Amino acid sequence: MTTTIRLQTVGAALVVAAVVVAPAFAQSRSTSRGFTGSWEAYPLRGEGFGSGVQPKVRVSPPAPIPEPPLRQPYLDEFRAAQARNAELVRKGLPPVSTGMACIPEGMPGMMQATFPMEILETPGQITIIEEAFNHVRRIYLGVPALAPEDAEPRFAGQSTGRWEGAVLVVTTVGVKDSVHFRNTPHSMKIRITERMRLVNDEMLENQVTVEDGEYLTKPWTWTWMYKRWPGYKIQEYVCEDNRYFEDPTLRYQRLRVQ
Amino acid sequence: MNRGSRRLALIAIAIAVASAVPARAHHSFAVYEPALQIKLSGVVTTLKWTNPHVYLEIDASDPKTGETRHWLLECASTSILNRAGWKFNMLKPGDKITVIVSPLRTGEPAALLKQVTLADGSKYSNGAAAGRVTIE
Repeated sequence: MTTTIRLQTVGAALVVAAVVVAPAFAQSRSTSRGFTGSWEAYPLRGEGFGSGVQPKVRVSPPAPIPEPPLRQPYLDEFRAAQARNAELVRKGLPPVSTGMACIPEGMPGMMQATFPMEILETPGQITIIEEAFNHVRRIYLGVPALAPEDAEPRFAGQSTGRWEGAVLVVTTVGVKDSVHFRNTPHSMKIRITERMRLVNDEMLENQVTVEDGEYLTKPWTWTWMYKRWPGYKIQEYVCEDNRYFEDPTLRYQRLRVQ
Repeated sequence: MNRGSRRLALIAIAIAVASAVPARAHHSFAVYEPALQIKLSGVVTTLKWTNPHVYLEIDASDPKTGETRHWLLECASTSILNRAGWKFNMLKPGDKITVIVSPLRTGEPAALLKQVTLADGSKYSNGAAAGRVTIE
Protein backbone atom coordinates (compact mmCIF):
# COMPACT_ATOMS: atom_id res chain seq x y z
CA MET A 1 0.00 0.00 0.00
CA THR A 2 2.72 2.43 1.07
CA THR A 3 4.74 1.46 -1.98
CA THR A 4 1.75 2.16 -4.27
CA ILE A 5 1.26 5.63 -2.75
CA ARG A 6 4.97 6.38 -3.12
CA LEU A 7 4.91 5.29 -6.74
CA GLN A 8 1.84 7.45 -7.40
CA THR A 9 3.57 10.43 -5.77
CA VAL A 10 6.71 9.92 -7.83
CA GLY A 11 4.61 9.51 -10.97
CA ALA A 12 2.70 12.72 -10.27
CA ALA A 13 5.96 14.57 -9.66
CA LEU A 14 7.33 13.35 -12.98
CA VAL A 15 4.18 14.51 -14.81
CA VAL A 16 4.44 17.97 -13.18
CA ALA A 17 8.14 18.15 -14.07
CA ALA A 18 7.39 17.17 -17.67
CA VAL A 19 4.66 19.81 -17.95
CA VAL A 20 6.96 22.51 -16.57
CA VAL A 21 10.09 21.53 -18.48
CA ALA A 22 8.62 20.52 -21.85
CA PRO A 23 7.52 23.97 -23.08
CA ALA A 24 10.89 25.50 -22.14
CA PHE A 25 12.68 22.67 -23.93
CA ALA A 26 10.44 23.00 -26.98
CA GLN A 27 10.99 26.75 -26.98
CA SER A 28 14.78 26.43 -26.79
CA ARG A 29 14.68 23.86 -29.58
CA SER A 30 12.55 26.06 -31.79
CA THR A 31 14.88 29.04 -31.12
CA SER A 32 17.93 27.20 -32.41
CA ARG A 33 18.97 27.54 -36.03
CA GLY A 34 22.03 25.40 -35.43
CA PHE A 35 24.41 28.20 -34.41
CA THR A 36 24.49 27.25 -30.71
CA GLY A 37 27.77 25.68 -29.62
CA SER A 38 31.52 26.25 -29.60
CA TRP A 39 33.39 27.37 -32.71
CA GLU A 40 37.04 27.82 -33.67
CA ALA A 41 38.61 29.90 -36.44
CA TYR A 42 39.11 28.20 -39.80
CA PRO A 43 41.68 27.61 -41.31
CA LEU A 44 42.91 26.01 -38.07
CA ARG A 45 45.64 28.03 -36.39
CA GLY A 46 48.18 25.56 -35.02
CA GLU A 47 48.83 23.78 -31.73
CA GLY A 48 47.12 25.27 -28.70
CA PHE A 49 44.74 27.51 -30.66
CA GLY A 50 42.04 24.94 -31.34
CA SER A 51 41.10 21.31 -31.78
CA GLY A 52 43.59 20.51 -34.52
CA VAL A 53 40.82 18.45 -36.13
CA GLN A 54 40.16 19.28 -39.77
CA PRO A 55 36.53 19.44 -40.98
CA LYS A 56 35.07 16.25 -42.40
CA VAL A 57 34.35 18.04 -45.66
CA ARG A 58 37.18 20.35 -46.73
CA VAL A 59 35.99 23.89 -47.35
CA SER A 60 38.03 26.48 -49.23
CA PRO A 61 39.55 28.98 -46.79
CA PRO A 62 38.34 32.57 -47.20
CA ALA A 63 40.48 35.10 -49.06
CA PRO A 64 42.87 37.22 -46.96
CA ILE A 65 41.42 40.42 -45.52
CA PRO A 66 42.16 43.23 -48.00
CA GLU A 67 43.82 46.50 -47.06
CA PRO A 68 41.25 48.93 -45.63
CA PRO A 69 39.98 51.30 -48.38
CA LEU A 70 40.85 54.39 -46.34
CA ARG A 71 40.42 57.93 -47.55
CA GLN A 72 43.44 60.21 -47.74
CA PRO A 73 45.33 61.24 -45.72
CA TYR A 74 44.33 58.23 -43.56
CA LEU A 75 45.57 55.70 -46.14
CA ASP A 76 49.05 57.21 -46.30
CA GLU A 77 49.17 57.42 -42.51
CA PHE A 78 48.03 53.79 -42.24
CA ARG A 79 50.69 52.56 -44.69
CA ALA A 80 53.42 54.56 -42.99
CA ALA A 81 52.40 53.15 -39.59
CA GLN A 82 52.36 49.59 -40.96
CA ALA A 83 55.88 50.02 -42.38
CA ARG A 84 57.11 51.58 -39.12
CA ASN A 85 55.60 48.76 -37.04
CA ALA A 86 57.08 46.06 -39.26
CA GLU A 87 60.51 47.68 -38.93
CA LEU A 88 60.15 47.87 -35.12
CA VAL A 89 59.20 44.18 -34.96
CA ARG A 90 62.19 43.31 -37.15
CA LYS A 91 64.45 45.10 -34.69
CA GLY A 92 62.85 43.34 -31.72
CA LEU A 93 61.10 46.47 -30.50
CA PRO A 94 57.42 45.58 -30.87
CA PRO A 95 55.05 48.55 -31.20
CA VAL A 96 52.62 49.23 -28.40
CA SER A 97 49.30 47.39 -28.49
CA THR A 98 45.98 47.55 -26.67
CA GLY A 99 46.60 44.04 -25.34
CA MET A 100 49.42 45.43 -23.17
CA ALA A 101 46.75 47.12 -21.05
CA CYS A 102 44.58 43.98 -21.16
CA ILE A 103 42.07 45.82 -23.34
CA PRO A 104 39.87 43.46 -25.39
CA GLU A 105 39.78 43.48 -29.18
CA GLY A 106 36.31 44.93 -29.69
CA MET A 107 34.38 44.79 -32.97
CA PRO A 108 35.04 43.52 -35.52
CA GLY A 109 38.39 42.07 -34.34
CA MET A 110 36.80 39.90 -31.65
CA MET A 111 35.02 37.93 -34.40
CA GLN A 112 38.32 36.66 -35.81
CA ALA A 113 38.10 34.16 -32.91
CA THR A 114 41.76 34.22 -31.91
CA PHE A 115 40.65 31.66 -29.33
CA PRO A 116 37.40 29.67 -29.63
CA MET A 117 34.00 31.31 -29.16
CA GLU A 118 30.62 30.14 -27.99
CA ILE A 119 27.31 31.09 -29.64
CA LEU A 120 24.09 30.80 -27.64
CA GLU A 121 20.65 31.17 -29.21
CA THR A 122 17.85 32.11 -26.81
CA PRO A 123 14.47 33.70 -27.54
CA GLY A 124 15.04 37.23 -28.84
CA GLN A 125 18.80 37.16 -28.38
CA ILE A 126 22.00 35.63 -29.71
CA THR A 127 24.99 35.82 -27.41
CA ILE A 128 28.57 35.38 -28.58
CA ILE A 129 31.20 34.75 -25.91
CA GLU A 130 34.81 34.95 -27.02
CA GLU A 131 37.27 33.01 -24.90
CA ALA A 132 39.85 35.76 -25.52
CA PHE A 133 39.32 38.45 -22.86
CA ASN A 134 35.95 36.85 -21.83
CA HIS A 135 34.57 39.29 -24.41
CA VAL A 136 30.77 39.15 -24.91
CA ARG A 137 28.40 40.37 -27.62
CA ARG A 138 24.66 40.44 -27.20
CA ILE A 139 22.72 40.58 -30.46
CA TYR A 140 19.09 41.56 -29.94
CA LEU A 141 16.63 40.13 -32.48
CA GLY A 142 13.42 41.67 -33.70
CA VAL A 143 14.18 45.20 -32.51
CA PRO A 144 15.05 48.22 -34.65
CA ALA A 145 18.73 48.98 -35.23
CA LEU A 146 20.09 51.93 -33.29
CA ALA A 147 21.18 55.03 -35.20
CA PRO A 148 24.96 55.44 -34.80
CA GLU A 149 24.50 58.78 -33.03
CA ASP A 150 22.20 57.15 -30.45
CA ALA A 151 24.55 54.30 -29.57
CA GLU A 152 26.70 54.63 -26.46
CA PRO A 153 30.27 53.79 -27.56
CA ARG A 154 31.37 50.32 -26.45
CA PHE A 155 34.17 47.93 -27.37
CA ALA A 156 31.75 45.40 -28.85
CA GLY A 157 29.43 48.14 -30.10
CA GLN A 158 25.68 47.55 -30.00
CA SER A 159 24.21 44.85 -32.19
CA THR A 160 20.78 44.02 -33.53
CA GLY A 161 19.92 41.13 -35.78
CA ARG A 162 17.29 39.56 -37.97
CA TRP A 163 16.92 36.34 -39.91
CA GLU A 164 16.79 36.49 -43.70
CA GLY A 165 15.89 32.86 -44.30
CA ALA A 166 18.85 30.87 -43.00
CA VAL A 167 21.12 33.94 -42.87
CA LEU A 168 21.56 35.88 -39.63
CA VAL A 169 22.08 39.52 -40.53
CA VAL A 170 23.65 41.54 -37.71
CA THR A 171 24.12 45.30 -37.67
CA THR A 172 26.58 46.82 -35.21
CA VAL A 173 27.00 50.51 -34.42
CA GLY A 174 28.57 52.37 -31.51
CA VAL A 175 32.07 50.87 -31.65
CA LYS A 176 34.44 53.04 -29.59
CA ASP A 177 36.75 55.05 -31.80
CA SER A 178 39.73 53.79 -29.78
CA VAL A 179 39.11 50.30 -31.21
CA HIS A 180 41.42 49.99 -34.22
CA PHE A 181 40.99 46.65 -35.96
CA ARG A 182 44.18 46.07 -37.97
CA ASN A 183 45.35 49.54 -36.96
CA THR A 184 42.46 51.03 -38.95
CA PRO A 185 40.91 54.23 -37.57
CA HIS A 186 37.17 54.85 -37.77
CA SER A 187 34.58 57.46 -36.83
CA MET A 188 31.47 57.04 -34.72
CA LYS A 189 29.55 56.72 -38.00
CA ILE A 190 30.94 53.17 -38.35
CA ARG A 191 28.40 50.49 -39.19
CA ILE A 192 29.35 46.82 -39.35
CA THR A 193 27.08 44.36 -41.13
CA GLU A 194 27.61 40.64 -40.69
CA ARG A 195 25.88 37.94 -42.69
CA MET A 196 26.28 34.61 -40.92
CA ARG A 197 25.17 31.29 -42.35
CA LEU A 198 25.86 27.62 -41.90
CA VAL A 199 27.78 26.30 -44.92
CA ASN A 200 27.13 22.76 -43.68
CA ASP A 201 26.68 21.05 -40.29
CA GLU A 202 30.14 21.99 -39.05
CA MET A 203 31.10 25.22 -40.83
CA LEU A 204 29.83 28.74 -40.18
CA GLU A 205 30.56 31.62 -42.55
CA ASN A 206 30.59 35.27 -41.55
CA GLN A 207 30.65 37.89 -44.33
CA VAL A 208 31.72 41.15 -42.72
CA THR A 209 31.19 44.61 -44.21
CA VAL A 210 32.46 47.77 -42.54
CA GLU A 211 31.04 51.10 -43.68
CA ASP A 212 32.26 54.50 -42.53
CA GLY A 213 31.75 57.39 -44.95
CA GLU A 214 34.15 59.58 -43.00
CA TYR A 215 37.16 57.24 -43.17
CA LEU A 216 36.45 54.74 -45.97
CA THR A 217 36.04 55.37 -49.70
CA LYS A 218 33.90 52.22 -50.07
CA PRO A 219 32.70 49.32 -47.88
CA TRP A 220 35.53 47.16 -46.49
CA THR A 221 34.51 43.53 -46.89
CA TRP A 222 35.94 40.14 -46.04
CA THR A 223 34.82 36.69 -44.87
CA TRP A 224 35.67 34.76 -41.73
CA MET A 225 34.95 31.07 -41.26
CA TYR A 226 34.53 29.00 -38.14
CA LYS A 227 34.53 25.25 -37.55
CA ARG A 228 32.23 23.71 -34.99
CA TRP A 229 34.02 22.19 -31.99
CA PRO A 230 31.50 19.80 -30.40
CA GLY A 231 31.78 19.54 -26.63
CA TYR A 232 34.44 22.22 -26.21
CA LYS A 233 34.00 24.18 -22.97
CA ILE A 234 35.09 27.81 -23.21
CA GLN A 235 37.81 28.60 -20.68
CA GLU A 236 38.17 31.61 -18.41
CA TYR A 237 40.46 34.38 -19.63
CA VAL A 238 40.83 37.23 -17.20
CA CYS A 239 43.73 39.36 -18.36
CA GLU A 240 45.22 40.00 -14.93
CA ASP A 241 48.97 40.26 -15.23
CA ASN A 242 50.40 41.60 -18.45
CA ARG A 243 54.15 42.04 -17.98
CA TYR A 244 54.50 44.07 -21.15
CA PHE A 245 54.69 47.82 -20.73
CA GLU A 246 55.35 50.81 -22.94
CA ASP A 247 58.87 52.17 -22.64
CA PRO A 248 58.16 55.77 -21.60
CA THR A 249 60.95 57.21 -23.74
CA LEU A 250 61.21 54.91 -26.73
CA ARG A 251 57.47 54.09 -27.05
CA TYR A 252 57.77 50.40 -27.73
CA GLN A 253 56.91 47.27 -25.74
CA ARG A 254 59.23 45.96 -23.07
CA LEU A 255 58.95 43.01 -20.74
CA ARG A 256 58.99 43.51 -16.97
CA VAL A 257 61.54 40.91 -15.94
CA GLN A 258 61.66 41.50 -12.16
CA MET B 1 58.34 13.94 -39.39
CA ASN B 2 58.19 13.30 -43.15
CA ARG B 3 58.59 16.02 -45.77
CA GLY B 4 54.82 16.40 -46.32
CA SER B 5 53.90 16.79 -42.67
CA ARG B 6 56.88 19.11 -42.08
CA ARG B 7 55.64 21.29 -44.94
CA LEU B 8 52.13 21.31 -43.46
CA ALA B 9 53.56 22.24 -40.04
CA LEU B 10 55.53 25.11 -41.59
CA ILE B 11 52.41 26.32 -43.41
CA ALA B 12 50.45 26.15 -40.13
CA ILE B 13 53.13 28.16 -38.35
CA ALA B 14 53.24 30.67 -41.21
CA ILE B 15 49.47 31.08 -41.02
CA ALA B 16 49.61 31.48 -37.23
CA VAL B 17 52.34 34.10 -37.49
CA ALA B 18 50.71 35.91 -40.42
CA SER B 19 47.35 36.04 -38.69
CA ALA B 20 48.89 37.07 -35.38
CA VAL B 21 50.90 40.03 -36.69
CA PRO B 22 48.16 42.43 -37.81
CA ALA B 23 45.88 41.84 -34.84
CA ARG B 24 47.80 44.21 -32.53
CA ALA B 25 45.45 43.35 -29.67
CA HIS B 26 47.84 40.69 -28.50
CA HIS B 27 51.52 41.45 -28.26
CA SER B 28 54.28 40.00 -30.41
CA PHE B 29 57.19 37.86 -29.24
CA ALA B 30 59.64 40.14 -31.08
CA VAL B 31 61.47 41.02 -27.83
CA TYR B 32 63.04 37.56 -27.93
CA GLU B 33 65.90 36.37 -30.13
CA PRO B 34 64.14 35.21 -33.32
CA ALA B 35 66.54 32.41 -34.22
CA LEU B 36 68.63 31.63 -31.11
CA GLN B 37 67.51 28.74 -28.91
CA ILE B 38 69.29 27.52 -25.77
CA LYS B 39 68.76 24.64 -23.36
CA LEU B 40 68.59 25.19 -19.61
CA SER B 41 68.29 22.66 -16.81
CA GLY B 42 67.09 23.84 -13.45
CA VAL B 43 64.63 23.82 -10.60
CA VAL B 44 61.15 25.38 -10.65
CA THR B 45 60.68 28.20 -8.15
CA THR B 46 57.19 29.39 -9.20
CA LEU B 47 54.53 28.79 -11.83
CA LYS B 48 52.12 31.71 -12.21
CA TRP B 49 49.04 30.31 -13.95
CA THR B 50 47.71 33.64 -15.23
CA ASN B 51 46.49 35.37 -18.39
CA PRO B 52 47.38 36.81 -20.80
CA HIS B 53 50.46 34.65 -20.19
CA VAL B 54 51.65 31.98 -17.82
CA TYR B 55 55.06 32.65 -16.28
CA LEU B 56 57.44 29.96 -15.11
CA GLU B 57 60.44 30.89 -12.98
CA ILE B 58 63.43 28.62 -12.58
CA ASP B 59 66.91 28.63 -11.08
CA ALA B 60 69.24 27.24 -13.71
CA SER B 61 72.98 27.06 -14.12
CA ASP B 62 74.34 29.18 -16.93
CA PRO B 63 75.49 26.91 -19.77
CA LYS B 64 78.67 29.02 -20.22
CA THR B 65 79.73 30.07 -16.71
CA GLY B 66 78.06 27.40 -14.59
CA GLU B 67 76.70 30.14 -12.32
CA THR B 68 73.11 29.76 -11.10
CA ARG B 69 70.75 32.40 -12.48
CA HIS B 70 67.09 33.06 -11.87
CA TRP B 71 65.13 32.94 -15.16
CA LEU B 72 61.67 34.20 -16.04
CA LEU B 73 60.15 32.06 -18.79
CA GLU B 74 57.17 33.34 -20.77
CA CYS B 75 54.56 30.80 -21.73
CA ALA B 76 51.33 31.10 -23.74
CA SER B 77 47.88 31.72 -22.20
CA THR B 78 46.35 29.24 -19.75
CA SER B 79 43.90 28.14 -22.46
CA ILE B 80 46.62 27.46 -25.05
CA LEU B 81 48.63 25.46 -22.52
CA ASN B 82 45.54 23.48 -21.48
CA ARG B 83 44.87 22.67 -25.14
CA ALA B 84 48.53 21.68 -25.60
CA GLY B 85 48.14 19.13 -22.79
CA TRP B 86 49.45 21.06 -19.77
CA LYS B 87 47.72 21.15 -16.37
CA PHE B 88 47.70 24.05 -13.92
CA ASN B 89 49.34 21.90 -11.22
CA MET B 90 51.76 20.10 -13.50
CA LEU B 91 54.83 21.92 -12.16
CA LYS B 92 55.62 22.61 -8.52
CA PRO B 93 58.46 24.44 -6.76
CA GLY B 94 61.42 22.11 -6.50
CA ASP B 95 60.62 20.13 -9.68
CA LYS B 96 63.64 19.51 -11.87
CA ILE B 97 63.00 20.42 -15.50
CA THR B 98 64.83 21.05 -18.74
CA VAL B 99 63.66 23.77 -21.10
CA ILE B 100 64.45 24.95 -24.60
CA VAL B 101 63.99 28.72 -24.82
CA SER B 102 64.73 31.82 -26.89
CA PRO B 103 66.28 34.45 -24.59
CA LEU B 104 65.46 38.15 -24.54
CA ARG B 105 67.50 40.23 -26.99
CA THR B 106 68.50 42.56 -24.11
CA GLY B 107 70.50 39.86 -22.32
CA GLU B 108 68.29 39.97 -19.22
CA PRO B 109 67.56 36.51 -17.72
CA ALA B 110 64.16 36.05 -19.33
CA ALA B 111 63.13 33.91 -22.28
CA LEU B 112 60.30 32.62 -24.39
CA LEU B 113 59.60 28.96 -23.67
CA LYS B 114 59.61 26.59 -26.64
CA GLN B 115 59.46 23.24 -24.85
CA VAL B 116 59.64 21.91 -21.31
CA THR B 117 60.78 18.40 -20.39
CA LEU B 118 59.67 17.08 -17.00
CA ALA B 119 61.69 14.78 -14.74
CA ASP B 120 59.77 11.77 -16.09
CA GLY B 121 60.84 12.64 -19.64
CA SER B 122 57.46 13.91 -20.85
CA LYS B 123 57.64 16.94 -23.16
CA TYR B 124 55.17 19.82 -23.54
CA SER B 125 55.22 22.56 -26.15
CA ASN B 126 54.30 26.22 -25.65
CA GLY B 127 51.84 26.25 -28.57
CA ALA B 128 52.19 27.23 -32.21
CA ALA B 129 52.61 30.98 -31.65
CA ALA B 130 55.81 30.42 -29.63
CA GLY B 131 57.34 28.59 -32.56
CA ARG B 132 58.87 25.16 -32.89
CA VAL B 133 61.96 23.73 -31.29
CA THR B 134 65.05 23.78 -33.52
CA ILE B 135 67.61 22.23 -31.14
CA GLU B 136 67.73 18.97 -29.19
